Amino acid sequence: MATDPTISLKIRTALAEYLKRDPDRILVTQDLRDDLGLDSMAVIELLYRIEEAFDLQIPDQDLVGLATVGHVVIYVEKRLGKLTPVAPIKKSATPLKATKQSKPSKPKSKKKS
Amino acid sequence: MRARVVVTGLGVVSPIGIGISDFWKAALAGQSGISAISSFDPFPIEGYRSKVAGQVRDFAVERFIDSVHGERVDRYAQFGLVAAKEALADSGLRMAKENPHRIGVIVGAGMGGMVMGEREITQLYQQQKPHRVHPNFIPVITLNSASGIIAMAYGAKGPNLTISTACSSSAHALGQALHCIREGRADVVIAVGADASITPLVFAGFCSLRALSSKYNDNPEKASRPFDRLRDGFVMGEGAGALILESAAHAKKRKARVYAEIAGYAATSEAYHMVIPREDGLEVANTMKLALADAGLAPAQVDYINAHATSTTIGDAVEVKAIRQLFKSRADKITISATKSLIGHTLGAAGAIGGIASVLALYTGKIHPTANYDDPDPACALAGLSRSAQERRVKVALLNAFGFGSNNAAVVFKQAAAEGRRSKG
Repeated sequence: MATDPTISLKIRTALAEYLKRDPDRILVTQDLRDDLGLDSMAVIELLYRIEEAFDLQIPDQDLVGLATVGHVVIYVEKRLGKLTPVAPIKKSATPLKATKQSKPSKPKSKKKS
Repeated sequence: MRARVVVTGLGVVSPIGIGISDFWKAALAGQSGISAISSFDPFPIEGYRSKVAGQVRDFAVERFIDSVHGERVDRYAQFGLVAAKEALADSGLRMAKENPHRIGVIVGAGMGGMVMGEREITQLYQQQKPHRVHPNFIPVITLNSASGIIAMAYGAKGPNLTISTACSSSAHALGQALHCIREGRADVVIAVGADASITPLVFAGFCSLRALSSKYNDNPEKASRPFDRLRDGFVMGEGAGALILESAAHAKKRKARVYAEIAGYAATSEAYHMVIPREDGLEVANTMKLALADAGLAPAQVDYINAHATSTTIGDAVEVKAIRQLFKSRADKITISATKSLIGHTLGAAGAIGGIASVLALYTGKIHPTANYDDPDPACALAGLSRSAQERRVKVALLNAFGFGSNNAAVVFKQAAAEGRRSKG
């Protein structure tokens, strides 16, 4: 099934911002945990941002099938019925600063720092 | 014989400097960290009675912490992480060479993750969209987020505790860390105090309590004036202090530089009132007495007191009354200073930062001034208070910290060079 390039780009851009890397390096075939290094909490944070960007509510039972970037893109596309997203991906509010603009959280890396 | 415990590392994030070197230089110069609050983005400060605070300016956690840990927690815990990092580096402790299960973390925090807490609560009530509450809300506002993240960042697998007793939180963190090492449960404890709640709701709450200074909104540096006749309430501050406490044997084994010994601690409750201290000062005097007894020292041996001294009318007078009760004629021979005159009241961080000032007084023989002590209140007059920095050999220092909830703490530090001498207490 062909994916909507707009949705795909927005999700990959959101991930790229989250992971602080080039969007071109985010591939739909990549596994969120094994390839991109997101831990379970980081996956939840990512989906929170996608819910906001596409004005969706993703039920708990749907989380199981969202293993790769492509799964997320197809899922969002299905849920939207190929509608145009209602809002651009915004930087997520994170608990960092007293100011309005906060940086997005970065997922836990496998590396120890 | 119980283990002696020493201080081997210090770290601080404060309104007058991030890092011990800048902090201590500014403190000795009597520099004020109090300034006007410009706004609570996105709304103005006009509606608040008090408009001044001791803020940590231009703080960006990524400048100090090269890892994801800083980004996952609220501002207060970021302060704690940064202070702990400096203290660990200062101590020379190499975590890779240590048994991680013998290194604990004890944090004192009064308010916790209020930056995110307030934002999420406001959004929920305004928008009524429960699914839009941030997934990190619970981990961030849970009060042990700082002690947790510090352990994760530095690999400390020993006892991990958070003490929350309002303004005395981190004095108790120091005391509980002392107990932990004395009892042999850890070789090292990273003892931290941290708070960052100059936030719209908390600040408004303290304004409503009529606890904050409001007469000096146009002259912020004058607002925090402990023991002065014209004091009119405390000034909110924010920051963190970290002290590496370590058994003397462990410190000796690794040839660590020792700043001072932490020798005694007492914790009491006045069982009296949520926010008002007993005016007779008896319980405060008793707390100091118990801490000195725990250290095996007599009141006559105290050279320096880092006073709780928040700049409230009643609180300062009660503390001085208690000092006079316990130390009697010697009260005027003790050098006293109020760190809050410089940085405001950092709430849960106050005990740790006051502890750092006490340890540095012992180590350097220098005592920072009490800013704005211009017109001594007769009810608070003590000869050892000064607007200027003072120099004297300090062998024994006492730290006071009192918190809402009728809570008192006192901690005794003594000069490391005096170790091994038997006190005559």
